[in-house]
Amino acid sequence: MDFSYTAQEEQFRMELRTWLEENLPEGWLDGTFKMPEEQAAYGQFLRDWQKKPSDGRWAAIAWPAKHGGRDATLMEEIIYHQEMVRVKAPPLVNYVGLHMVGPTLMQIGTPEQQEKYIPKILSGEEVWCQGYSEPNAGSDLAAVQTTAVKDGDKWIINGQKIWTSYAHFGDRCFLVARTSKGEKKHHGITCFLLDMKQPGVEVRPIIQMDGEHDFNEVYFNDAIAYDSEVIGQVDDGWRVTIALLMHERTGIGAQVFSLEQQFDGLVGLAQTVKEDDVPIIQKADVRKRMLDLYIKSRGSLLNYYRNLTKQLKVGHPGVEGSMDKLFVSEVTKELFAEAISLQGHQGLLWKDDAVYGNSYWQKNYLYSFGQTIGGGTSEIQKNTIAERILGLPKDVGR
Amino acid sequence: MDFSLNQEQEMFREYVRKYLTDMEQTKVARDYTENKIEHVKAVLSELHELGCTQLNIPEKYGGMGLGKLDLVPIMEEMGRAIVPGLYLETSAFAVPIIEQFGTDEQKATYLPQVANGEASFTIAWLEPGRSYKQQGIQMSARLNGDVLVINGVKTQVPDVELAEYFIVPVLIDDEITLVIMDKKSSGITLREQKGFDETRKLTEVTFENVEVPMNQRIGAIGEGWSIIQEGLLSYNAALSSVAVGALEHIVEMASEYATIREQFGNPIGRFQAIKHRLVDMKLDLETARSLSYYANWALETSSEDRIEAICSARIFAIQAFIRTSAHNIQIHGGIGFTEEIDCHLFVKRARFYENYLGNMEQYYEQAITALNWEQTETAQEKETILSTN
Repeated sequence: MDFSYTAQEEQFRMELRTWLEENLPEGWLDGTFKMPEEQAAYGQFLRDWQKKPSDGRWAAIAWPAKHGGRDATLMEEIIYHQEMVRVKAPPLVNYVGLHMVGPTLMQIGTPEQQEKYIPKILSGEEVWCQGYSEPNAGSDLAAVQTTAVKDGDKWIINGQKIWTSYAHFGDRCFLVARTSKGEKKHHGITCFLLDMKQPGVEVRPIIQMDGEHDFNEVYFNDAIAYDSEVIGQVDDGWRVTIALLMHERTGIGAQVFSLEQQFDGLVGLAQTVKEDDVPIIQKADVRKRMLDLYIKSRGSLLNYYRNLTKQLKVGHPGVEGSMDKLFVSEVTKELFAEAISLQGHQGLLWKDDAVYGNSYWQKNYLYSFGQTIGGGTSEIQKNTIAERILGLPKDVGR
Repeated sequence: MDFSLNQEQEMFREYVRKYLTDMEQTKVARDYTENKIEHVKAVLSELHELGCTQLNIPEKYGGMGLGKLDLVPIMEEMGRAIVPGLYLETSAFAVPIIEQFGTDEQKATYLPQVANGEASFTIAWLEPGRSYKQQGIQMSARLNGDVLVINGVKTQVPDVELAEYFIVPVLIDDEITLVIMDKKSSGITLREQKGFDETRKLTEVTFENVEVPMNQRIGAIGEGWSIIQEGLLSYNAALSSVAVGALEHIVEMASEYATIREQFGNPIGRFQAIKHRLVDMKLDLETARSLSYYANWALETSSEDRIEAICSARIFAIQAFIRTSAHNIQIHGGIGFTEEIDCHLFVKRARFYENYLGNMEQYYEQAITALNWEQTETAQEKETILSTN
């Protein structure tokens, strides 16, 4: 067992740290920075930010150097996540482009597609969203209803997508559509690299329970995609879809490291909140609940490290990722629920009236409900773990 | 980054598992409940032949001189088969404290005996009506020249039948002191007690003017409690591994049953009510394993966070053991409720550990104290770090 980092890895860490200190928005590190509240300004801020890491080759470090990456090792990616979480860096608005579409294009795209899209993904000039989920389909990804019908060198697209993150900033969409009806629902699906800025595409916001707007509904009314915008083979989109989903090799890491940081914050909260002048950390039952959370958050970090070790040895991510996702999202939900309980009646105030942490706890409590749903619900993760790790028979209906 | 056991450690596991599989795993525990003591002793002596007892003893005393992490796979295998006996008490409690606090003479006397498989230690700690806390130790010993004269009663002492020595905390001049005592000393009377985990045999031990030479004392007078605390760190790290082994066996046994047992024309493992419960069990197992590996690593490297790491591992692993062994019965349905199937053995063993050598409440307190949360100076700072932006 060895939890140390090599000299090379430490050097990588220091290089990134220095870069962040020099390039984070002014006032970011000392907490005086204020995020733009208005939607368009916020979108512009995110695009402007992404340009910086892209210029410094810190936007897609796992990409090959010839595409603007650093050929980063898995460990360097982990360190990258740790450092980004440590300074709570602004998110990269082109997450889907960087982690999913870009690598998939490198693997499956034509040379023309690679040349056309990849540089703009990196710079943030073109922000991508993914058109997977459809109303009522939920976790059943293959139940695609949106259709693409061939018309000369064009495809005419009709249908609706939902839960499309960042579609309101989106320039392009990795769209999954049905192009023929086969015997199996996995057949007859095709993936498109669709232009979002055309008349046939309409984006409607979905306002979440935390008041934020990350998701959208997207309507396609005779939207157009060209043959050159098909990725992979026609009717063979399921394979492309799976390839795309496999590209996220360290995605859970950031969440695991955030959980560790959030737990420290929770301890701070329990030390700060007072009930009749006594800090609640002095209550035995509060400390006991805190320790239960400490154990679980340590457990989820250590589980992640153990799976990571395995990944380092075999060279590719395993199905254990489902266990990490399940556990870290459930523990995160518990942690923020506890943060609300700890504040007592004061926990019910938020926005300008929030008593502690500038609504941080309230916002994240509400947001955490999405974490056990998005990216595959906990129930779906459990089915996957049961079938692929424990060897239990397939779920009824599949 | 490498968070895994190494190849040699995994290989050692294979030898032990193969042997215990040949011995039909839990059959050894069942033999013990049926008082087939000679058979159990034969198995334990085979485990010694494999090297289990020599492993963490310095080469100078006839051992292999390996570390705490090397014990992990063996402890897990012991847990899988719920092997009866005092391996944990001897190798993970007695050996470390004798090595750390014993005199040269004590080391030369006891360590080779353990390495040769000649001696096992049991711990005679608990007293009737009292607890595993510091104030629970009330039995006092009178100093008479170079000899200690001990009178009193210890209760629920495990597996005396398999032990050669007792480790006994007593009060000398009102201070807790640890003494090693030969089971055959005169003045000791044993009375069997009935416990519901029959894979551990409990005995009430009465001491009547038992004379023990002063050189049988480990450490100085009054150092007993801190020595116990050190011993418990190593004991609890190992205990968490034992629980992990048991958890692994339970998850395998329940998953296998769920694929075979059919109801309504389907294997029950096809139903989400069963399936999801099994995944919860698996998650408990893997989390316990991560925590226990880390705890043993922290122990071996004397890492700063070793106290909270070890307490966390013990708390989580034992709670998971209790939960999971109970789920196992539910998944097995009617047959799980019988004596015939192994399910009940694990439920009982889990409950044995819950309150053995300390209880949950004590370990929560110990971890919380080590984490130092009540010191609130940095509180404001910590909280604001998160809430900005």
